[in-house]
Amino acid sequence: MSIFGSNEKKVEDNTTFIFDTEKDNINQSNLAKDIKIHGSIEAKDYIEFSGNITGTIKSSTINLKPSSYVKGTITGDTVTIEGELDGDIQAKDLYIKSTAKIKGTIRYTNIDIQNGSIINADLFYSS
Amino acid sequence: MEEQDLDSVKQDADPIRQDNDFKTVNVGSGVRVEGRIDGAETADISGALSGTLKSSNININTSGSFNGDMFGKDITIAGNVEGDINSDEHIIVNQSADIKGTIEYSSLQVSYGAKIQGTLRHKGSVQSYTHQTNSDDQSSNGDNISENSQGEI
Repeated sequence: MSIFGSNEKKVEDNTTFIFDTEKDNINQSNLAKDIKIHGSIEAKDYIEFSGNITGTIKSSTINLKPSSYVKGTITGDTVTIEGELDGDIQAKDLYIKSTAKIKGTIRYTNIDIQNGSIINADLFYSS
Repeated sequence: MEEQDLDSVKQDADPIRQDNDFKTVNVGSGVRVEGRIDGAETADISGALSGTLKSSNININTSGSFNGDMFGKDITIAGNVEGDINSDEHIIVNQSADIKGTIEYSSLQVSYGAKIQGTLRHKGSVQSYTHQTNSDDQSSNGDNISENSQGEI
């Protein structure tokens, strides 16, 4: 019986994590591969994006996964790019991974670029 | 006896110094050089160099600064650079680096903390690409070449 009790508790924990975002301090959004968006996404905490967007993404932490394609503007504190981007990036901490392809303008405070990434962009450093 | 030994050591050492087959350029810390360096294999810059530098391996060390255009294969930058950097192979930018200018690269690695102000250009990627497939270009050559050239201008 005690085992069943613990299982039920786990399910409850999961549901609170997914739905009751006010109790958790971290809001996490995950947008899958087959999503296409024309417009803007704005969030407070964390966005993980694998889809295709024409528009803007604004959040504290943004993760653009390898399959993602962004045409537009990205604004965030910590931005990780593994996908393709055509447009502008503004970030305090910018991590460009080896699978990334970037074209446009990059404004950053700290930048880290991995070997293998393809970048054709103007870089602007600001402290 | 001891003096003779020292003389023989000097004689052995001198010829090596005179013909530097290593094609190495070494600008020490605090040394200033202006001009054009070409045909070097390794350039190790800890001082200040301004001008044009062509060398397979280029190291701009933490205390080094470079002003001008550099062409090389393996380039490592830990100091200050103002100008153009052109690499056929690999560029490593260390966290202490401060770069202003254009970087043309095949492979680039930048450590967290480095400051780069300017333009990055990847060699081999078409600057003004369109999403057309290659098969379209091959089908009617004449028209597409003129279109492409217009696009690039």
